[in-house]
Amino acid sequence: MQILIQLFHILVFPGLLFDVAMGVLLMGLNNKLVARMQNRVGPPILQPWYDFLKCCGKETIIPARAKRAVFLGSPYLGFVLLISVSMFIPFAGFIPVTMGSDLVVILYLLTFVSVCEILGAASSGSPFAGVGLSREMVAMISYELPFVLVILTVARAVGADQPSGAVFSLEGILAYQEMNGPLLFSPAAIPAAIAMLFVIPCETGMHPFDIAEAETEICEGMLAEYSGTPLAMYRLTHMVKVYTMSSLFVAMFLGNRFTGIVPVDILIGILLCIAVMFISAALPHAVCARLKVEQVFHFYWTVVTGFALAGLLLVWAGV
Amino acid sequence: MNMEHYPILAIISLFLGAFLVALFGRLNKVLRNLIVAAAVTIPLCLMIALIAPVMIGGQVIGYWMGNWAPVGPWAIGIGLEVDALSLFFGLVVTIAVFVSGLYSFTYMNRDDSLENYYTLFLMLSGSLLGLVLTGDLFNIFVMIEIMTMTAVALTAFRVDYEGALEGALKYMVVGSIGSTSVLVGIAMLYSQLHTLNMAQIAAALPDHQNLVTVGAFAFLFLGFSTKAFLFPFHPLAADAHAVAPASISLMISGVITKCGVYGIIRLAYILYQNINEPAVSILITGFGAVSCFICVTMAFNQHDFKRLLAFHSISQVGYVITAVGLGTALGLSAGLYHAMNHTLFKGLLFLCAGAVQYATGSLDLGRLGGLAKKMPKTCALFLIGAASISGLPPFNGFFSKWMIYQASFEKGLDTGNFFYIVVCVVCLLSSVLTLASFVKVAQSVFFGQLQPQFENTKEVPLTMRIPMWILAVLCILTGVLPWEVLQKLVGPAAAAALNAAGYIQGMLGSGAAAGAGAQAAFSMEIGFWGPVSWLCLLLIVSCAVCLVAVLGTAEQKSPEERHEMDRRAGRTAAFTRDGFADAGRILKPAEKEGHYRNPVLSGTTLTFTGEKDPKYENFFSGEESEYSQVGGGDLFWGFKTNWRHYFQGMRRWHSGVINDYTRYGIVALAFVLLYACLFL
Repeated sequence: MQILIQLFHILVFPGLLFDVAMGVLLMGLNNKLVARMQNRVGPPILQPWYDFLKCCGKETIIPARAKRAVFLGSPYLGFVLLISVSMFIPFAGFIPVTMGSDLVVILYLLTFVSVCEILGAASSGSPFAGVGLSREMVAMISYELPFVLVILTVARAVGADQPSGAVFSLEGILAYQEMNGPLLFSPAAIPAAIAMLFVIPCETGMHPFDIAEAETEICEGMLAEYSGTPLAMYRLTHMVKVYTMSSLFVAMFLGNRFTGIVPVDILIGILLCIAVMFISAALPHAVCARLKVEQVFHFYWTVVTGFALAGLLLVWAGV
Repeated sequence: MNMEHYPILAIISLFLGAFLVALFGRLNKVLRNLIVAAAVTIPLCLMIALIAPVMIGGQVIGYWMGNWAPVGPWAIGIGLEVDALSLFFGLVVTIAVFVSGLYSFTYMNRDDSLENYYTLFLMLSGSLLGLVLTGDLFNIFVMIEIMTMTAVALTAFRVDYEGALEGALKYMVVGSIGSTSVLVGIAMLYSQLHTLNMAQIAAALPDHQNLVTVGAFAFLFLGFSTKAFLFPFHPLAADAHAVAPASISLMISGVITKCGVYGIIRLAYILYQNINEPAVSILITGFGAVSCFICVTMAFNQHDFKRLLAFHSISQVGYVITAVGLGTALGLSAGLYHAMNHTLFKGLLFLCAGAVQYATGSLDLGRLGGLAKKMPKTCALFLIGAASISGLPPFNGFFSKWMIYQASFEKGLDTGNFFYIVVCVVCLLSSVLTLASFVKVAQSVFFGQLQPQFENTKEVPLTMRIPMWILAVLCILTGVLPWEVLQKLVGPAAAAALNAAGYIQGMLGSGAAAGAGAQAAFSMEIGFWGPVSWLCLLLIVSCAVCLVAVLGTAEQKSPEERHEMDRRAGRTAAFTRDGFADAGRILKPAEKEGHYRNPVLSGTTLTFTGEKDPKYENFFSGEESEYSQVGGGDLFWGFKTNWRHYFQGMRRWHSGVINDYTRYGIVALAFVLLYACLFL
């Protein structure tokens, strides 16, 4: 029975199925919201799901010079890895697996997800993919520095009164927030939260920062050679990543148990994820044009890192 | 046979092997290979046999050469002393020697005068093992000299290789600064304490702190950091590693640097026991962090596979030194763990580079490409190595780096010193930069476009892949079972390094155990990582996804059927498999002019073969090839343009002039001396 419950948590809620559903919902809402802000009608909210199904129905073409195993395997590996990351992030008090969740581990696993995408692109042998992966890598270097600083800030802010001095575990962070209210309400954490809001769109490759996929410049870059089910898997990974990052933000800065009543908590959790998505992804998408590669790097290493560093210094000073 | 003879037998078997090869190697190839195989296997077996008593039993094995036992408290003869720390490094050395020896049999078979190669190789191995097992300070210097001279000779072994002699000369001249400084340090200590036995020095030093011993610390530290190729000696490593045969690059980067690390640990933890002084800790950590960061950015600009790996190995040694400098039990364990991991994954990567060189004759990142189809097994091995060094979970690099971040962050919080937080961020950042430059290697060597001249490349023989697999399996094992490794190997070694009294007792006292099965006590309560349960989780999710995928695709029509349906419906077949396959083939640059020719590609080719754009030019990074495919030379210009001023400075710094490099060494020596005199 215990195993069945565990399996339910892993596969249905808040695991695999829920992740996919939330990813589709967030991406659909994102499209809709951006369209409304741009005075368009926009696609139906389930459009990403229809796209996914349609893609699955198409045949898979493997380019002549692609390395077959890597080309086909990496989209699936990336998706599975991402699902495993989302298991580390508690949602509405639910923790799918009780093995502890460490922010640094999450950071590295998220990197691994991107690496899978890069490997797949590299193995396709296409020059467009080559340019795309180099841009993805630059984007990764760009957001990693503020991301790391944010993680250290949160760990320090939460662990200041603990004997170890820092708490990297998300459960610890949530327990702290349950006691002391959301971290976002403490002034020292606000710069870090702002930095984190900027990290989300770049990590998920959302519009103003989607240098790696720039359709108009490099033919979707890393995805240039993909078609059929592997492409669908990439699209799905992308959607789930938006959800994972938003729920990570919610867990880090807003907490998880709001009322103690499970269905209400789940509802609030979903609404908060949508709000985070709206602020971090939809707004910049609607407002900004795509940045250049070096602009992304420059922006992240000056402005966003500045916010993150300010947060770390504030927390360090004990504000 | 008695256990205490094992260490000396291990050293003897390597040196004896060297002499036997020199004598008989010319006669018969099989005999020579047999001698080498025996000489590299015996030490490994002996070291493994010592794990049980030393690591788990906590014994310290002392051995007096020629039975010159100490008279009272005075040690006159040369002694070997094997505690858990020595044994840990002994294991690292013997594994690397074993793998490198196995690999050489096939890898070197196109060279001649191999008896010289094996003689030098065994001498080098013997000196490395002697260095980590000895209990005598002057013996360490002797071993360093043998090590440096044989390594120099082996670097220049392929004299016809461009730059081999130059690399060897630089190594010898600048390396001699290090050797000299070790000798000066030893002489200063001897003048103060009148002994060369390390246990005796360790016992006497705390009571004899004066300006001379502090100066000796500075000299010894700089000498050992030269051997570890730390900043500012890193250009040297790149010049030497890149031209040496791959099996020797493994030894230089995997083991010789570790001997520098071993020296620094012995120096700061056992001899001086001053690692807990903030000034010492900041000095060592600072050197480590600077090396770590500068070398990883330098690796971005390299065009040569092995040169790139060489910079990375200094970057990784920088991690190790950073962790060792923290001085906490957690930091030291992290450093030792990463030292072992670095030998495993960097060895693997160098052997992969050697395999690529063996198969294609080139190491030029701009020229190679698309080898994954020709050498799939080497590609898989390379990916394991690259994932390990980039610290992707669940490979071994991740665990040790993760420990290093925690250790440095914790140290920062404990001491309230923001310096350690900066170090932690630098380490985390270097990790993603490492990943980026291995993405570059993967893209420009194994993926991307295959060049026509490599069309006939063949996979390397099994005899070369077996040593690589040994390292790859060890990489995975130490990554998946980190807590066991920590408990069985790393913990006792760290405990031994933190227990200077035990070391003194082991040599001068009864020789019996001090603190059986000791573990370095530290808490890892701030983080969680369970690779095995994570892998289980991954397996469950994969099964579920596969199940859905299989069920989902079962209802689909196969492409052929759909093609058939399209044909019957009279639709055009432009977007069927054949149509796309054609489109895929068009992308080959070698294809004839046709009306399908993709204009964008020819545009890109022009951009990358045409005149150089000084803004993105790669300066100080070895030869640049004429043709550079997309993603080869300038993969990260978005990063590089933003950092162009930094890279301009680095270009001036890496002038390649031996005088400059010598000057950096002397400036570093002056700095360390001044620092030591002011703050210690």
